[in-house]
Amino acid sequence: MEVRYRITRPYPLEAAFELGRFTALLGPSGAGKTTLIRALAGLVPGRGTPYGGLPAERRPVGYLPQNLALFPHLNAWQNVAFPLAHLPPGERKERALALLGRFGLSEKADRRPAELSGGEARRVALARALAREPELILLDEPTAGLDRPNRSQVLRAILAALSSGNVRALVATHDPELAQAADRVVVLERGKVLQEGPSDRVFNHPASPRVAQLLGYENRFSGRVVQREGELALLATEAGRLYAKTELPVGTRVGIFLRPEEVLIVREGRPLSPVDAQNTLVGRLRCVRRMGPVVEAEFQGRIELLLRLPRHVEDRLGLATGEIRRVVLKPRYLQLFSEEEDSFSSE
Amino acid sequence: MTEVLLRSLALAAASSAVLLLVAAPLAYLSRRPYPGRTLVETLLLLPLALPPTVLGFYLLLLLAPEGPVARLLGFELAFSFPGMVLGAALFSFPFAYTAYREAFRALDPALLETARTLGAGPGRRLREVVLPLVWPGLLSGTLLAFAHALGEFGVVLMVGGNIPGRTQVASTYIYELVARLELEKAHQASLTVLVLALALVYLTRSLEERWRSATGSPGPTR
Repeated sequence: MEVRYRITRPYPLEAAFELGRFTALLGPSGAGKTTLIRALAGLVPGRGTPYGGLPAERRPVGYLPQNLALFPHLNAWQNVAFPLAHLPPGERKERALALLGRFGLSEKADRRPAELSGGEARRVALARALAREPELILLDEPTAGLDRPNRSQVLRAILAALSSGNVRALVATHDPELAQAADRVVVLERGKVLQEGPSDRVFNHPASPRVAQLLGYENRFSGRVVQREGELALLATEAGRLYAKTELPVGTRVGIFLRPEEVLIVREGRPLSPVDAQNTLVGRLRCVRRMGPVVEAEFQGRIELLLRLPRHVEDRLGLATGEIRRVVLKPRYLQLFSEEEDSFSSE
Repeated sequence: MTEVLLRSLALAAASSAVLLLVAAPLAYLSRRPYPGRTLVETLLLLPLALPPTVLGFYLLLLLAPEGPVARLLGFELAFSFPGMVLGAALFSFPFAYTAYREAFRALDPALLETARTLGAGPGRRLREVVLPLVWPGLLSGTLLAFAHALGEFGVVLMVGGNIPGRTQVASTYIYELVARLELEKAHQASLTVLVLALALVYLTRSLEERWRSATGSPGPTR
């Protein structure tokens, strides 16, 4: 299924991309994610496919706005039954209760929205959006503002909804966990699609420095290609000589991007391959922060790097502020962009 | 006394019913800007700033036996009950309109949009979403207009003329009693009106409270 939309108001936006079963719409605030979702729902004037020209009432979509818009005067099952007006009353209630049951909300069927928790309210709204068996559900930040258990519960509910039936989902989100569960990703900025494709591909091969930045490649330094060695190239960088995977010709000035999660700390006493040995930096851990299941550290060597690792890995390494450590920058995790591209898009 | 009080109540009921039918739809439309909205609202809210006698005076000129309304439309409203209803409705308009506008403004537009995506046309949206959520606001606005019309004096005196048995209402009746120095009777009538007004305003306030809790933020943003 292909989406091709052009919107002029309230913001100019042009988007064309392939819709997978579960497509994540990523981008900074103000990129136009909500506008695109609303245009697909028929609430913002837009031209294109699918559903162009159909009034909102007749589009086969389920829409979940950021504030959920549960009807405050109706209880949970009445909210879910609202879109089932074409059925006889008895059947409406039965269907609504069955849907609530699927989302583990049977006991909350008689509660008003104000009496539900944030996660429960979202699941009720999701059940309501699915009640008419839409072709496409449009979810605007479905996990924003939720705590971790509620977030994963909502994510599981979305995945469960997608695994049964023929519904697809387009989800605007900032939540990396949610985005990585998607099979396709669309990166939007200032009303334009910067990159779209299968999520592995987009996350591991961002098309531009800007996309890399938006997808969490928080470390950046520069260098120049000095020598080619097969599929690898040797770079002279601010951090020293490093190998990287690139096709760029010798002499190209490059910006190098790296995720904090993909800076590896060397466990002393382990042998390193020659390439990894070349890509090793020595430096001091300036600051080690434990943030629940994640540990962040600032590394100060010839360059500064941000490191992020799961706590169970850190448990084995035993990091402490002020320590001298070696880190490896694996060639395949280094994303290179020729400097012209870099300066062009970071203006 | 009873007859005068009943006429007062009838006047208040009729004028607040007129307001519900006219001011509520106008307030609903004013949720979104339209060309000339400021001008329209200025005219509608003008009675707030006008002395009732001025409003009554112009109404009287308009509605007089030889006035433009009589000549063009063929009916005389001056010194009649319908004329008083018109005057009281105009004078209470700002109060009702403001209350209705607030009631509609408190309605989250996302509810109506989402209702559309759930297949509800304009009729169902009005019946099943708008009215259930705004009725306490509409009712409290109407009660306020009712209470205001019950206490109206200037416009009613100008347009109605305080004719005993025809256009005399509680407020003008009390005025006349005081002018005739029948203070005992004036006291009785005033006390009755006071109690009635107190009950009405209390009812309005309780409805507003209830309405606020009904439209309070639903779940997700807690």
